[in-house]
Amino acid sequence: MSDSPRSLNDIAISQDFELEDLLDRPALVEMVHSFEVLFGIPLRVYSATGALLADTGAVPSLYKYLETTRGGRTAVQNVIVEVRRSKPDDGVSSQVRCISGGQYLTTAIVYEGHTLGRTIFGPFLSPEVQEPPAALFELDPALERAELQAHWAGLSRLSEEYCKRIDQHLRSTLDLLVFSGLKAHLASSMHLASVRESFRELGDKNKKLQQAYDRLKELDRLKSNFLATVSHELRTPLTSIIGYSEMLLEGIAGEIVGEQRDFLQTIHEKGEQLLGLIKSLLDLSKLESGTMSVRREDLAAGKVIEDVVATLTPTARKKGVVLSSSVEVDLPGLFADGERLRQVLLNLTENAIKFTAQGGVVSVSARVVSLSSDKGGSGGVLLGAARRLAIEFRVSDTGIGIAEEERERVFDAFYQVDSSSTREAGGTGLGLSIVKRLVDSHDGTVRVEGNEPEGTVFVVTIPIKRAAS
Amino acid sequence: MQLDFATRELTIKLVYYGPALSGKTTNLQALHEAAVGDSKGRLMTLDTKDDRTLFFDLLPLNFKDVSGLSVRLKVFTVPGQVIHSATRRLVVQGADGVAFVADSRESETDTNAEAFVDLRDNLKAQGIALENMPLVIQFNKRDMPGARSESDIASDAAGGREPVYLAVATKGQGVVECFIGLLHLTWQSIEKQHGLGKKFGFDGEGFIENVAEKLGRHEALDRILACRVGQARLGGKS
Repeated sequence: MSDSPRSLNDIAISQDFELEDLLDRPALVEMVHSFEVLFGIPLRVYSATGALLADTGAVPSLYKYLETTRGGRTAVQNVIVEVRRSKPDDGVSSQVRCISGGQYLTTAIVYEGHTLGRTIFGPFLSPEVQEPPAALFELDPALERAELQAHWAGLSRLSEEYCKRIDQHLRSTLDLLVFSGLKAHLASSMHLASVRESFRELGDKNKKLQQAYDRLKELDRLKSNFLATVSHELRTPLTSIIGYSEMLLEGIAGEIVGEQRDFLQTIHEKGEQLLGLIKSLLDLSKLESGTMSVRREDLAAGKVIEDVVATLTPTARKKGVVLSSSVEVDLPGLFADGERLRQVLLNLTENAIKFTAQGGVVSVSARVVSLSSDKGGSGGVLLGAARRLAIEFRVSDTGIGIAEEERERVFDAFYQVDSSSTREAGGTGLGLSIVKRLVDSHDGTVRVEGNEPEGTVFVVTIPIKRAAS
Repeated sequence: MQLDFATRELTIKLVYYGPALSGKTTNLQALHEAAVGDSKGRLMTLDTKDDRTLFFDLLPLNFKDVSGLSVRLKVFTVPGQVIHSATRRLVVQGADGVAFVADSRESETDTNAEAFVDLRDNLKAQGIALENMPLVIQFNKRDMPGARSESDIASDAAGGREPVYLAVATKGQGVVECFIGLLHLTWQSIEKQHGLGKKFGFDGEGFIENVAEKLGRHEALDRILACRVGQARLGGKS
């Protein structure tokens, strides 16, 4: 059998198959055996290439006896060679005479005009033959006449007519076997070919999808590059604006009076505000391109919260919002980038104050949680993995809240829950996406929960990591 | 088509295409039943599931021409269900002629059209334009309620290039005519490309007449070919 799979046309049109492909050998041997049992005549099946496919190995006792002598052995071999050489025409049986006076019958196995092999059965004697041929006794002087006679008499006898009928039966049986075999062969080839065809189709589709994906990724990269370049270019003239307004305020270019000072103050403040926005854009593009470095150090979570609350207390007071903090005692130390963590909490807390109305409460807290229980899977515990601890920061407010379906999307860059132009709260929509990326860079998670009865809780979880040894 | 010069054997592949349950297998069964003598081989039905063809059916028909050329016709069906598109593409590969078996019912018009587009696409995938493929169309299930009227089909047929036949495959009606029509068209196309008449002295018309005879139609070829829709009235040659 060839290694490359044959196509439907190879098999069904060119009939490019061999008997070996179609017939199960052990089953064929069984059939041949039952044939021998039934008729008492040895049967062999050869493929078109001359390979012996089935043979029960039964040898007439006469042959066994002949093979004990040199002359007899040669004679038997000659018969075998002649029988194997006989090439029967399609549909016609050919007879080969044997030294014993008996004969062999060879017939081609033909399917749809395609010769697949042949069957050979014999030797058998015609019922009319009474005496062995004289030549049999002259094969070798060592052969005993009486013994030869006895073995000869043991050969099967079959009339030519009956023999033709057996042959006919054998033919139709083999035809059926070949048909079934071909059917199975075609079905399996077809099955393989269909699977291969479907696979090829899927492969093509996958390739197209991959190309589209690569293109999108490239576009995304270009966007980040653009963002980085633009923010960088914006910063340069802005620095001049801020610097010169500052110098004017300081009176370097002459005295500033009355409304002039107010206007300059406004220019300066708005400039600073704009610079802040541009910085966050830069941060985002840096985070996206993965060029922002995280400088981890040992730090205390409580200290970070204290710092954030201290920074924002004036803002909260101005808005009439109560800002409180609570930190669990004996909180273990974190190994994280203090500046980034401060940025995260500052951003979340500032947001919370922004979206909380007067008289509301914003609180910042920190506690220790176990990560394995968080994920719901006990696999790690079963495998004896160390329980991972994390510090959970919660920033809760009593503000307008975020609808459940919006909670995943608030971390997308530029996403705003209220994107109308008349929205009350300002901002670029970058804060939370920066928070998400900063937390990600610490292998942490950030999620949004509802605060009962109203408001929002942002939960940041940062795993506790020891300093790398 | 496959031509073996040494053994003087010509093998022609014909494919019955069409939507699911339009009667492709039934066509082959009817042909098998109609064939007489040793010309017909065993009808092979490959892996059916709930009476639906999974891979294909194959009917081999063997003939010997007076010139001594032996001609083997291999008639295939494809699985009609939409999901077996890959299998259809594989079966139709290397086809010399296609019979499209459509369901006559008005309600099946869209399904027929979809299967036809599928055939066109699958041929195109092999670089074969539908116009270059010998093609006949059979409107089967003429006995079903809701079947389109003959005049309706005839007016459609007049606008198309392909010979159109009407059939009730379950009763064997129109099946042989459609097959002979397909064989005739296919032979014309093969003859044009390979000139078998000149090379082998192969008498195509005589051969097809002989095939028709083996399929139980003892008439002149012209009369059989005239059974196509819109031709009977003209009574002319195709």
